[in-house]
Amino acid sequence: MERIQMRRQLALMRQSFFDQGFLDEQFIQLEELQDDANPNFVEEVVTLYYRDSSRLILNIDQALERNPLDFNKLDNYMHQFKGSSTSIGAKKVKAECTQFREYCKAGNSEGKKDKLGPWRQHVAQGIDGRGQKKKQDLTWQNIVIDKSKIHTFNHQKNGCPSGITMFWFSM
Amino acid sequence: MGAAVDHVIPIGMSRGSVEGNDKSQGQRFSSKSKLTALVVDNGGVCCAIQTALLRSYGVGTEAVETGGAAVELISSGATFSLIIIEMLLPFMNGPETAKQIRAIGAQSKVLGITAFFDERDQQEFLAARADDFIEKPLSLEIVIPIIRELNN
Repeated sequence: MERIQMRRQLALMRQSFFDQGFLDEQFIQLEELQDDANPNFVEEVVTLYYRDSSRLILNIDQALERNPLDFNKLDNYMHQFKGSSTSIGAKKVKAECTQFREYCKAGNSEGKKDKLGPWRQHVAQGIDGRGQKKKQDLTWQNIVIDKSKIHTFNHQKNGCPSGITMFWFSM
Repeated sequence: MGAAVDHVIPIGMSRGSVEGNDKSQGQRFSSKSKLTALVVDNGGVCCAIQTALLRSYGVGTEAVETGGAAVELISSGATFSLIIIEMLLPFMNGPETAKQIRAIGAQSKVLGITAFFDERDQQEFLAARADDFIEKPLSLEIVIPIIRELNN
């Protein structure tokens, strides 16, 4: 019973990611790459994405502290971030990256530096939010990352994203 | 091959499974004529996904993180049907990598790929004799026609 409930919960969570525009069809392509030969593909890639994104966000945040801003560096970070976000199907994050790059382009001309303000707030929220949401994440993590429970989802052929994913996709 | 190259094996995919994960069953085309691909990208996520996608269609795929590693690999005799090169690479960028790969005689289909499409980048890649230039993601819609083309 517990398993069925859990499966249902995760299926709902997964669907809500698509409905809210956090994920796009590229994520479905990832799920379809998961099979018996690659049973943990989605979780592995998402975990890798989370690690890479954390690092990139930190780098970006540090770069935003500089005065004057190094736009070349910021551009490179965004390029990497957008690349991985696009590849994984993180629709909303991808849009944020594109928006941020527009800010950077605008900011390259004098006096537009404040345009980065909104994005900075996003980033700050993201990093703080992670701390706040940690408790919630851990609960989801226990459900999803626990190998014995993952076993039941794999048979569903649904690559259920982990709680970590849930946070990042809602950034 | 004796060359010290910077190999990146995407997590969860051991070298033994290069032929595994073959989803070409039931597809109209098959990859019985063994196609091979090289992914040149220093982003782990992109590397893992592109590699898995190609392998799922029976394309024997390897991945490296730098243009230098790609050039070394090809110089030491490795041949690939398809080479996918990210625009922004450390040390030597995508177009420069493509240029050097062509210079050492690679006849592969070379595909430049980038996170943000830019016409100047496109021109740079094409001038370096890449065959095409696309924006990420590397999707099925892109991959399938390429595989068909290479099989013919």
